[in-house]
Order: sequence, then C-alpha cells, then structure tokens
Amino acid sequence: MKAWQRNGILLAALLAFGATRIPLEKSLGDELRKDGLVPPPLEIGTRDKIGQTSSAVALGGLRTLVATFLNLRAFSFFQEQRWEDVADTFEMIVDLAPRTRYYWETGSWHSAYNAASYYINNSSMPSLRRKEAWRAAIYRGRAFLERGIRNNPGDWSLLSTLGFMLTDANKFPAFRDPDATFITAADTYQKAVDTGNAPAFVNRAQFYALARAKGRETEALALARALYADPKNRLPTLQALLLVLEAHENPALDTAKLAVELFGTPERALEALSGHWQRTRERFPVDGVASALGALEKTLAVPPEKSILNKPLQVPNGPDQWFSK
Amino acid sequence: MSSITEPIARGSHFNRILVIAGHAFTQLVRMKVFYFLAVFAVIAIASNFFDLPQHEGPESIGMNVLRSIKSWSLGTMTLFSVVLSIVATALLLPKDVEDRTLYTILAKPVPRFDYLAGKLLGVLILVFVSLAMMDVLMTVVLQIRSSMILTQQIAMAQAQGWPQDAIESLRAETAQHGPNWALQGAVFAVFLRASIMASLALLISTFSTSTLFTTIISFLIYFIGHFQADARDAYLQAGQAGEGVFARMAALVFSLVLPDFQNFNVIDAVIEGQAMPLMVLVKLSLIGLYYALFFTIASWFVFAEKEF
Repeated sequence: MKAWQRNGILLAALLAFGATRIPLEKSLGDELRKDGLVPPPLEIGTRDKIGQTSSAVALGGLRTLVATFLNLRAFSFFQEQRWEDVADTFEMIVDLAPRTRYYWETGSWHSAYNAASYYINNSSMPSLRRKEAWRAAIYRGRAFLERGIRNNPGDWSLLSTLGFMLTDANKFPAFRDPDATFITAADTYQKAVDTGNAPAFVNRAQFYALARAKGRETEALALARALYADPKNRLPTLQALLLVLEAHENPALDTAKLAVELFGTPERALEALSGHWQRTRERFPVDGVASALGALEKTLAVPPEKSILNKPLQVPNGPDQWFSK
Repeated sequence: MSSITEPIARGSHFNRILVIAGHAFTQLVRMKVFYFLAVFAVIAIASNFFDLPQHEGPESIGMNVLRSIKSWSLGTMTLFSVVLSIVATALLLPKDVEDRTLYTILAKPVPRFDYLAGKLLGVLILVFVSLAMMDVLMTVVLQIRSSMILTQQIAMAQAQGWPQDAIESLRAETAQHGPNWALQGAVFAVFLRASIMASLALLISTFSTSTLFTTIISFLIYFIGHFQADARDAYLQAGQAGEGVFARMAALVFSLVLPDFQNFNVIDAVIEGQAMPLMVLVKLSLIGLYYALFFTIASWFVFAEKEF
C-alpha cells in the first residue's frame, strides 16, 4: 500500500470515528451540564484577566486549582484593603468554580462586610463619598450573592447567608425600604427551608425576618405558633416575638399572664422581655412588651429606679451617625 | 535480551502483550518516575495549611481546607498523569529504536499490534500504579483532616443544642467533601483522560520523526481537546448566527478529528463536593475505551508497514 493510500484510509477512519463518537459525547455533555456536573465554558473576559498561563492551566482541566490560587491572591488583596481587586478576583474565581458555595459567600462577605466596614471607618474620605461607597459595597455584596444563588438554586447556605445579610442591623439601613428588605429576607429564608437541607435555625431566622415586616403580622403570628409547638424552638427571641404578635393581634390581651405562660416564671419572663425591649437596633416590634414589663415588675416588686422602662433606650446606630462627620 | 524476547515469541497474543507491557513498565520505573510521589506527598500535606482566616460560620468550619486538599491533589494527579502518559509513550518507540531492542523483537514472530499494545499497556500500568499511590496518600490526608473537622463541628453543634437531624445533615455535608466514592471516581476519570492521551501519543509517535514532535503535538491536542465541544456546538448550531460555510466546515473537521475532554471536567464538580453518579463514570469509561481502542488500531495500521 502506498503512503498516500494509507494516509487517506487513516484520515477517513479518523473522520468516521469522530462521526460515531460525537453524538455520544454530546449526549453525555448535555446530561452532565443539565445535572450541573460540568461548569459552563470559561468566559473570554475571564480568560483575558487571569492571564495566558493560568488560562492554559484552567483550560487544561484544572479550573478549580486556578480558582484556589486566585483565592490566595484575593486574600492578599483583602489584607492590603484593595477592594476593587478583591471583587475582580472573586468575579474570576466564581467563573472558574461556579458551584463552590464558599467562593460566593466569601466574595460577598468581602464586599458587604469588610469593604463596607472599611468605608465606615476611613476618615480620609468625605462623609458623603464614604456613605455612597459603603452603600455600593453592600449592594455589590448582595448582588454577588444573588448571582451565586441563581447559579446554585438548591443551596440552602447561600440563601441563608443572603437572608442573614438582609436582616443584619449593620446592613439593612443601606436599603431604602426596611420592610421590603425584611420581606425579601423572609422569602429567601423560606426558599432555604424549602431545599429540605437547612438546619432548624433557618426556619427561626425566617420568622425573625417576617416578624419585623410591617403588614405581615398575621402571617408571622401563624408561623410563630407553628414554631413554638416544637419545644426545640422555644428560644427567648421567638417567645418574646410570639408575645408581641399575640398582643398586636389582640391589644386587650393580658401580656403579663401570657409572658409567665411562655417563659415559665415571672423572673424569666422579666429577664427575656427586658432584653427584647432593649434590642432597638434590630427593629423588632414591641407591642405589649411595655405593659407586660410594667405588670411583671409590679409582681416582682422591682423598685422604679431599677425599672427597665426607666432606663434610656439605646439610639439605633446607623449611617446617620457613622457618616455625620 | 533473550529473557525478554524468548517468552514473547511463544504463547498467545495476550501473554505476549503482558510480557512487553511488563518490560515497558520496568523500563519506565528505572527512569525514576516514582520520585514524583515525594513531591506529591509534600503538596498533599502542604495543602492542609491553606486554611485562610475568613468568614466561615461554625457550621462550615474547615470545609475550605478539604476542598483545597482535593483541588491540589487532583490537580497534581492530572498534571502528572498527562505529562507521564504523553512523555513516556513518546519516548518508548524512539528509545527502542535507539537501543536496537525493537529490531530484536520484531525479528521474532511478534505481531506488531502486540508490540504496540504491550508498550501502551506498560505506560497505562505505570500511570495507574502512580495514580493509585497518590490516591491512597490523598485519601489518608483527607480522612485524617475530615475526621478532625467533623469532630470540631459536632462538638460545636452539640454545644449549641442542634437537633440530631441537623447534626446528621452537617455530618453528611462534611462527608461530601471528605474521601468518598465520587472522589475515587474522579481519580479514575483522571486515569481515563491520561489513557486517551497515551493512546493518542502512541498514534502520533508511529509517524513522527522525533520524541519532541510527538510531545509537543500531544500537549497541543490535549489543550485544544478542552475546546473541542465548543467547536462541535458551533457546528451544530451553525446557521443561527449566520456563520459562513468555511467556518462551519472548519468547526466540523475540528470536532471530528480532535478528542473531547470537556466531559472529563466532571472532576471539578467532585472537587466542589458534588456526587458523581456511577452511570456517568461508566459512560466516561466506555468513551475512554473507545478512544484507546481506535487510536491503538490506527497506530498499528501505520506501524504495520513501517520499515526500520
């Protein structure tokens, strides 16, 4: 056989082999992509940003390894407080490893917590610019986390982290409408619960968010009652909020009596409700708490000078104080 | 030399292939490739220390270290297995020609297919043994570290009064990042990808004129193989974006000739803590076997009439 004949046969065989394997590979590829077992192709922007060498390594089947290296680089940027670089690096990291919860949570945390706190404390910037930078950092952290949730819809932890951010007393003042923010947080926690993998505290966190949203008290009360039915959920915050919501539903309720029923003894009820009364930063509702405290103090013979109701309440610390000068 | 060639001349194809494979394996082991395992051990242990002080909540404490160990270990395994399979295969034929072993073997009644299959099997055994040793090391490191993390997590959960179902859920989540069957499947997928590369390098080495040429072309194909699926999709979806006939034909030839390695990126999903269904591994194995068989037969087709 002549060389050209042999090469011709080889080429034909190679093409025929390709034609038979392509449908198999495509079908497997589609199946893997559908199940989220193969990440989407690397974006051209990311290939450019990570550089030729890293790009080659990433394309050589080592995407997660490059992501690990970039995570180390992002940590150096974080230590140097180079927030734009931290954010850019995490954009690349999540493009390389979109199914890793840790990167979404860490990227979001750097922006919404570390960068935001940095702008609160950075005295070298004018207050108005600091405030806008603080707000932008929180928005960016939230958007990053929301993108992570879209990429990993069944991940309870990402949903729970977003819910936590939206109900954090240091974060929700950044959003224009606190009630809408609490409702979004409650919905987010509900989605986390719906995944079926979330621990019990997520269910309680959903209730704590809903209880703070004006106009959703009836729904919150129903949830509180359902949660209270399980003794494992009988924690002071939940018990206090149950009392508040019952009082909101029925203003004529004897809240002191209910408090003793919920907490077991007048002493425990007084202690728990005093704590709730002073949690002004979290914007928990306090319907019926003052009357319950007054009645309990009377029962326990607390002198007026020691009454919790006579102690000045802490003014909620927020952007107005942080950026006043 | 007689000890190698005498048993080769007798017996079945299978026996001959095994003898040649054993010889190729010994030949490669003498090149001290296993020294690499010391480097791997250092990497596997060092990856334990990339525990960055970040934001993790108590329930996910230490999870990043487990991911780091898997990422470093599987990354190193991929690099090592691909480099070894390409370079070792590229070296074998030229080395046998240089040592004149090839003439001695082919002068005996040894079919050329047996010779090639034996050489390839020798390389594959070497890659398999190396990966198995690295796998054992990675599994041990991961097992120790995940036990430590699990102990910490459960102590935390119990201290916080977590209910038993939540503790079990936490335990299952941590176990996903520890040593499990999916991880063993990922190591096997690394082996399959290396096997495809070894058989491809064997095909190239049958008509190439130098080891360097075989190595360079094989590495190029390896990297381009990770884009092959993009070319295939470009061909299949052509017309929607108004591509020209030439672009469409180029995409078709590209996808027909080059192997597709994108499906093997399932390894990344395992590093990220996802489970790999057994069926996926079976399908990957069948595809890997299909490639290896075709490339070996094609190598024999070229090699059968080659004159030395």
